[in-house]
Amino acid sequence: MILCTSSSFCIFCNAGMAEPAYTVASDSETTGEEKSSATFSETAIGIDIGTSQCSVAVWNGSQVELLKNTRNQKMMRSYVTFKDENPSGGVSSQLANEQDVLSGAAIFNMKRLIGRVDTDPVVHSSKSLPFLVQTLGIGVRPLIAALVNNVWRSTTPEEVVAIFLVELKAMAEIRLKRPIKNVVLTIPASFSRFQLTRIERACAMAGLHVLRLMPEPTAVALLYAQQNASQNTNTGSEKIALIFNMGAGYCDVAVTATAGGVSQIKALAGSAIGGEDLLQNMMRHLLPDSESLLTSRGLDDIKSVGLLRVATQEAIHSLSSQTNVQVDVDLGNGTKICKVVDRGEFEEVNQEVFDKCARLIIQCLHDAKVDTEDVSDVIVVGGCSYIPKIKSLVMSTCKKQELYKGMNPLEAAVSGAALEGAVASGLSDPFGSLDLLTIQATPLAIGIRADGNNFVPIIPRSTTMPAQKDLIFTTAHDNQAEALIIVYEGEGKKVEENHLLGYFKITGIPLAPKGVPEIRVILDIDASSVLRVLAGVLMPGSHQPVNPVMGVRMPTVDDGHGWCAEALNRVYGSTLDLVTVQRKI
Amino acid sequence: MSVSAVSISQFSLPNAFQVEDHFTTISKPIWRWRRQGSPASRIRCGKREAGEMLATSMGKNYYELLGVSVDSNAQKIKQAYRNLQKKYHPDVAGQEQGHEYTLKLNEAYKVLMRENLRKEYDASIGERRGNYSLSSLGRTSSWNGPLRPQGLFVDENACIGCRECVHHASSTFVFDEALGCARVKLQYGDDEQKIEVSVDSCPVNCIHWVEKEELPVLEFLIQPQPKEGFGIFGGGWERPANVFMAAKSFNKQTHNENHGRNSRASTVEEEETPAQAKARADASRKINMEAASGLFSRFWQWQNKPFGGKKVE
Repeated sequence: MILCTSSSFCIFCNAGMAEPAYTVASDSETTGEEKSSATFSETAIGIDIGTSQCSVAVWNGSQVELLKNTRNQKMMRSYVTFKDENPSGGVSSQLANEQDVLSGAAIFNMKRLIGRVDTDPVVHSSKSLPFLVQTLGIGVRPLIAALVNNVWRSTTPEEVVAIFLVELKAMAEIRLKRPIKNVVLTIPASFSRFQLTRIERACAMAGLHVLRLMPEPTAVALLYAQQNASQNTNTGSEKIALIFNMGAGYCDVAVTATAGGVSQIKALAGSAIGGEDLLQNMMRHLLPDSESLLTSRGLDDIKSVGLLRVATQEAIHSLSSQTNVQVDVDLGNGTKICKVVDRGEFEEVNQEVFDKCARLIIQCLHDAKVDTEDVSDVIVVGGCSYIPKIKSLVMSTCKKQELYKGMNPLEAAVSGAALEGAVASGLSDPFGSLDLLTIQATPLAIGIRADGNNFVPIIPRSTTMPAQKDLIFTTAHDNQAEALIIVYEGEGKKVEENHLLGYFKITGIPLAPKGVPEIRVILDIDASSVLRVLAGVLMPGSHQPVNPVMGVRMPTVDDGHGWCAEALNRVYGSTLDLVTVQRKI
Repeated sequence: MSVSAVSISQFSLPNAFQVEDHFTTISKPIWRWRRQGSPASRIRCGKREAGEMLATSMGKNYYELLGVSVDSNAQKIKQAYRNLQKKYHPDVAGQEQGHEYTLKLNEAYKVLMRENLRKEYDASIGERRGNYSLSSLGRTSSWNGPLRPQGLFVDENACIGCRECVHHASSTFVFDEALGCARVKLQYGDDEQKIEVSVDSCPVNCIHWVEKEELPVLEFLIQPQPKEGFGIFGGGWERPANVFMAAKSFNKQTHNENHGRNSRASTVEEEETPAQAKARADASRKINMEAASGLFSRFWQWQNKPFGGKKVE
């Protein structure tokens, strides 16, 4: 007998919903509340904040146009310098040379740090960056600081991104001669919902209203849908494309089915691996036993590491076009590196990263239930798409002889975001160029803690959005009057491996033997990815919730989410546990 | 998943009249037997499970929702799904209007695109596609030895429960205590003489020799089907009054359906124009929107108020 229907539509409405619902509004800090409000007065712009570079694009009425800054650059370095009193970012300021960025005064790679706690390995790997990343390893946000006049001046990733967004906004306003409010931002697929709230926070600080947060490969998919819309408008034949996007900070994969301008995301996969990892592995390869030097915060050491970083980066770039390169760098501390590095060496030291990339592709194809022969096009974009090994590994994993041509690898994501901005702003195009739609899918599973310390997914990953699913749980103890609903996001089997999104308590469960009360938990994700969690108690034989249903917008946790889960565990232990009712497999 | 759960927990094949009704309307886009807002469905909503709610209170099945015919192939469903998404996705239609509709679209698409889910769904709503194997259905007789051109069939409507046949040919006939009548368990389970005696012994002549091709249909149709209740009226079980007539029309409809499918397959694009599909989609959407008093939309009002309150103001 199947009890869980995970049907989209709940039993609470059976008797006409006589009772009012009890809701908890989420923290007003986030701007998402008004996301996707109905009135669009202007065309939203698309912004791609990359780990290393960013760009802005807009639909200019007939096509997507990338906006250039005063120095005529379409791609701007993502960094903010705290050299003077007023911080300035890579959009407006021009640095004399690369070395300035690495002096400790500039903060960059914020996309890798935003919304992460100090137990996160990605945060630890950022410690070799020239600025200060201080961790205590207890699950709180790391301290980030820039070196200003020999003082470590603290900042936050949100602040850095916001400063940067303000510059981008100002630039776009000058170029477009109108105020900018609405934006579509691209984000890595592996971003947790908590990280998304941090991005939204940064946008709010910059006075921008987030219309959509779009996983990068889905933005590329939309561009692909537009490029192919004219070919198969009415034939209904769909093309399946695999999109591999690897930048400096993240690697994302998506499988999309495209027909008639509609891009339907079948599956998403992503991980925080990118060019930064390649660079760091290479730095360690060029200068073995450099761990203490890399993380040292002495002025001279920072300078030396900066020199090494620049040299390594140049070497990697050269290896994309030639098979070996001469590295010749004086680190200024008595160490000189003079070495010929060939492509094979580079590929060998980064084997782990490349293997991970291949695994992401395989996982994504598997989730999408697509075979390699069904894939019509393989699209490789992002800064790392110039690396020969990346190209060959994507081709071999997808069993394809060639890659899709016709997309600028660096501009694809931002162009897709601009298209989405135009579509979501309600624009139409007489030639049908905006007759587009992205049907998104959830990048990570969302569920609650139940059956002890297990994570029970309610909405699995790669579920088409908007989505609504429910699952029935029950009490773990006799006469249990309260239950804790702890919502997580991720792929781990145990809750600790996943991101905590929030928690709330269900109270007033009628006293009954364990297993009798039905606790129905409904997750609802709308098209703009807003998550709501509803939970109510039902007693057997009744179709009306015992008490008003709880409805909570998630995520509700702010900082220190690692602590929250621990504290909950310590205070309540297993007294407020839930167990799943037999589920359909 | 709702659908699969429904179809398992509430697996109910339609009774013969519904089968007929369905097949006579097969070419029409709107099926009538789950009418929205009828007293029947309202009362049902009050006491059935959530999954059922989805199907009944919305008043249309997944095929109607997508505006496709029951025998549409995957490609057609995909295309219909995309066209509807392009109109009603929240990105296009706005959050208030699009959310609920798109949720339903997604659910319908997911079910119809997966062969196993679709089969279960078809069973739950009483649609039938493709080669329908009757032999898989419960209370049918099996054969002793090779298949022969004719088999025995007990018209259980007429059977008075005298047990004469069971007495004379105990391996062939079995008495169903629950229903109070005899039926064939094993064709040619006894020797011919015994069978002949048993057939002759029936005081109401309700044991018939029928063609073996007809047998499965008859055996299927004679099974009592749960009858839809209308409040305190009706309910219970029923079977066609004249099982042979019912079988005849059943076969005819099945034949028509198969024939129709073949001809449709050969002339691909005579189905319906996109404009027609759109009109249909609009109509079904309108019905849905009008049902503001329906329980389903009440749930949505309830859910949207607390959350969407700020949005609307």
